[in-house]
Amino acid sequence: MKRAVMFCSMVLCASGCDRPSASPAVQHVALAGELSTQSAFDTNCRGCHSQGAEGAALPLVNANYWKVATDATIIQAISHGQGRSMPAYLASEGGPFTAEQITSLVHGMRTLWGDGQPGGGGGISPVLTAGSASAGALVFSTACASCHAGQGTAGSVVDPMYLRMISDQGLWSAVVYGRSELGMPAWNQAMPGRPTGLSAQEVCDVVSWISSQRVSNEKVTK
Amino acid sequence: MSFLTSALLSSSKATMQWIEERTGVVAFAKPLLFHHVPRNAKWWYVFGSATLMFFTIQLVTGVCLATVYAPSAAQAWESLNYIDKEVPMGWMLRALHGWSSNAMVVMMAIHMLQVFLHASYKYPRELNWITGVFLLLTTLALAFTGQVMRWDQDAYWGLGIGAAIADRIPLVGDQVRALLLGGPIIGGETLNRFFALHVFILPGAALGLVGLHMMLIIKNGISEMPKPGAIVVPSTYREGFEERMKTEGVPFVPEAVQRDMVFCGVCLIALVALAAFYGPFGPGGMPDPTLINTNPRPDYPFMWLFGAVSLLPPASETAIMLIAPGVGVLVLIAVPFLSNSGERAPSKRPAMVLVALVTVMAIAALTWEGMTSPWSPVMDGWSALPTPAKFTHGRTPLEMQGAVVFQFAQCRNCHSLDGLGGKRGPELDDVASRLSYDQLVRQVQQGGGNMPAYGKNLDSAQTAAVVAFLATLHPSNEPDAKIPGAQLPPPPGSANAH
Ligand code: HEC
Ligand code: HEC
Ligand code: HEC
Repeated sequence: MKRAVMFCSMVLCASGCDRPSASPAVQHVALAGELSTQSAFDTNCRGCHSQGAEGAALPLVNANYWKVATDATIIQAISHGQGRSMPAYLASEGGPFTAEQITSLVHGMRTLWGDGQPGGGGGISPVLTAGSASAGALVFSTACASCHAGQGTAGSVVDPMYLRMISDQGLWSAVVYGRSELGMPAWNQAMPGRPTGLSAQEVCDVVSWISSQRVSNEKVTK
Repeated sequence: MSFLTSALLSSSKATMQWIEERTGVVAFAKPLLFHHVPRNAKWWYVFGSATLMFFTIQLVTGVCLATVYAPSAAQAWESLNYIDKEVPMGWMLRALHGWSSNAMVVMMAIHMLQVFLHASYKYPRELNWITGVFLLLTTLALAFTGQVMRWDQDAYWGLGIGAAIADRIPLVGDQVRALLLGGPIIGGETLNRFFALHVFILPGAALGLVGLHMMLIIKNGISEMPKPGAIVVPSTYREGFEERMKTEGVPFVPEAVQRDMVFCGVCLIALVALAAFYGPFGPGGMPDPTLINTNPRPDYPFMWLFGAVSLLPPASETAIMLIAPGVGVLVLIAVPFLSNSGERAPSKRPAMVLVALVTVMAIAALTWEGMTSPWSPVMDGWSALPTPAKFTHGRTPLEMQGAVVFQFAQCRNCHSLDGLGGKRGPELDDVASRLSYDQLVRQVQQGGGNMPAYGKNLDSAQTAAVVAFLATLHPSNEPDAKIPGAQLPPPPGSANAH
């Protein structure tokens, strides 16, 4: 009996008398850093972020994206999630990656798809700042309405359900980076009749106007 | 000194007598402790005692857990994490409860197998067997409701599947489902219901059955080791047995109980070791099928059922899922009635040994199947398989968001698009030509078949988005599945260009 007690206490202390080490923790397929960036992206991100013509969310295989977006904002989005449908990937938020793995994934993606620059370029400030909704209304009617209103070929961006799904940051990114594979222009670039695209302020204004169309200001947090 | 001892002794004796006179507790306990058992039983008969020990551990750890656990949908998951991380040795308590529950099922199965192989269920122990079968059912029910207590993703999906099975019952399916879940969908009511079952109703039933089982053991004695040629004849059996016990039997205490104690001790050490090394079960991800990293699996006692379901052709599932468990229970109950006399030795009952062997192997194989490919879903489908270009081009922003929700909510793990994705559910490439907008909403919210009900786990915007996307999945010459007056407004200004 004494032996049994001794054995038990040995077992307990071997496990640190604390949280068990092997408790069924998060299981996930691929860890950035251990695998190549491409395969980490393929298993964890490609389902949403298109590569080429496919995919439903903002494409990350896009040189314009890496020109503008900085590592800080990208790491922020991957770590803590963004909007309603971008999951948080940081382990402390229930995700599969450590902070180091996320950083190395971002560096890896920048090497693969960027132009070697650290971001913050592309002729536009890389962050969403306060805008004026009334100025934005004007931008929308001149730059966007031809496609997004009335008989335009694109769908509504002020649909109340749509606005409950997308974050302001998501709207900003959609305008700046566009969805070239779908026919949505990137507005930091030259446009027929707009040789410099939209200014940083105009983008924030139009985002502010779209966001002001949210029903009872149901803002998507994050 | 010696005076003191004798005074103490005599006064304690007097106290005992006083109590005995009023309760009869000694008279009651004596046969329990000192009844004669067969001399040759040896190590074969320790499994029942070990099962009882695990049951006792369940009661003790369960009561402790119940003092900290918050049986409300909002707090259950958190309170388990609290027990794991904040309560001193709380994780150990949960680990013991979880492992002991599995151990109890395993030990009970071994006990049952031994009883079956030795045909101990024959006259006069038919009711021992039948109370045992009911104990098995109660224990499995405890294991299932216990898994729900974790209120995590496994629990959620398990419940969803359970609800879907209930749904299949003809005529009263909806009512049974409502009774089980406390409403049409899984919610706070559901947890309350399962909590009541898990801590009051089922343990109460188990205690009663254990009492009955023990009473029958005392009444009928423990069966002897089977010997070829030692034939059970109901008309003369009891007399002969009692005679043999008197002359050849040994008292339960201290002869047989020693072995029980040693075996239980070994089991206990193994249990503590398992609990310490592997820790508690879950809680896995939050009870929300829309969060990442779901890999839903039932607890071990149900793994083989899971495996069986994943092997069945979908068309036969309803029949088999509804009928097979009932038939199985009936067969178990019928065992002692099929033959309650004659040979007990396994060597004289080769067919029965074969039945036992096949059953054990089938359950082992199905458990393996369940562990490896329960739903054959593609577990990383949601994060790895992109929406094919032909389903994103010409869609409205809302529909595109719906395509994202389709990934985010892991629909893709079970459903394929353009041939890529899980094959658990039907391919959805042209689902809109099969289902109307309303039917799509219903399918997503209430599930059905083997699809979990997403219910409140997708809010109205997520549901509107994903259904808007699904409604575009049809051959290009057909219109979108939009029904005026649907629960959710069809997206205004949606483009019909495909
Ligand atoms: C040449 C036509 C065109 C113009 C001009 C245009 N868009 Fe788009 N936009 C599209 C298309 C095509 C899509 C893809 C979705 C669809 O088909 O509805 C889209 C999508 C979007 C989305 C949704 C992106 C997503 O992933 O959820 C937003 C937001 C958006 N546009 C905003 C704007 C704003 C703001 C402007 C004006 C600055 C603008 N668009 C100008 C064609 C256009
Ligand atoms: C379930 C779909 C999904 C998966 C999987 C997913 N994302 Fe996202 N991601 C989104 C959506 C949707 C957004 C935009 C959300 C919004 O703003 O409303 C987004 C936004 C982002 C952004 C910010 C874009 C910006 O606005 O600048 C980054 C960076 C990003 N994701 C990287 C990743 C990486 C890296 C992975 C894989 C580790 C990944 N995502 C996996 C859906 C997903
Ligand atoms: C666990 C696997 C699983 C997941 C996850 C799942 N489904 Fe299903 N789904 C099924 C099964 C199985 C069926 C067939 C149901 C039946 O037999 O009635 C089905 C049926 C459907 C149908 C009806 C198809 C038809 O042809 O009748 C639709 C629509 C559907 N699912 C949509 C979804 C959506 C949207 C999601 C995500 C929010 C989802 N499913 C998630 C397994 C799943």
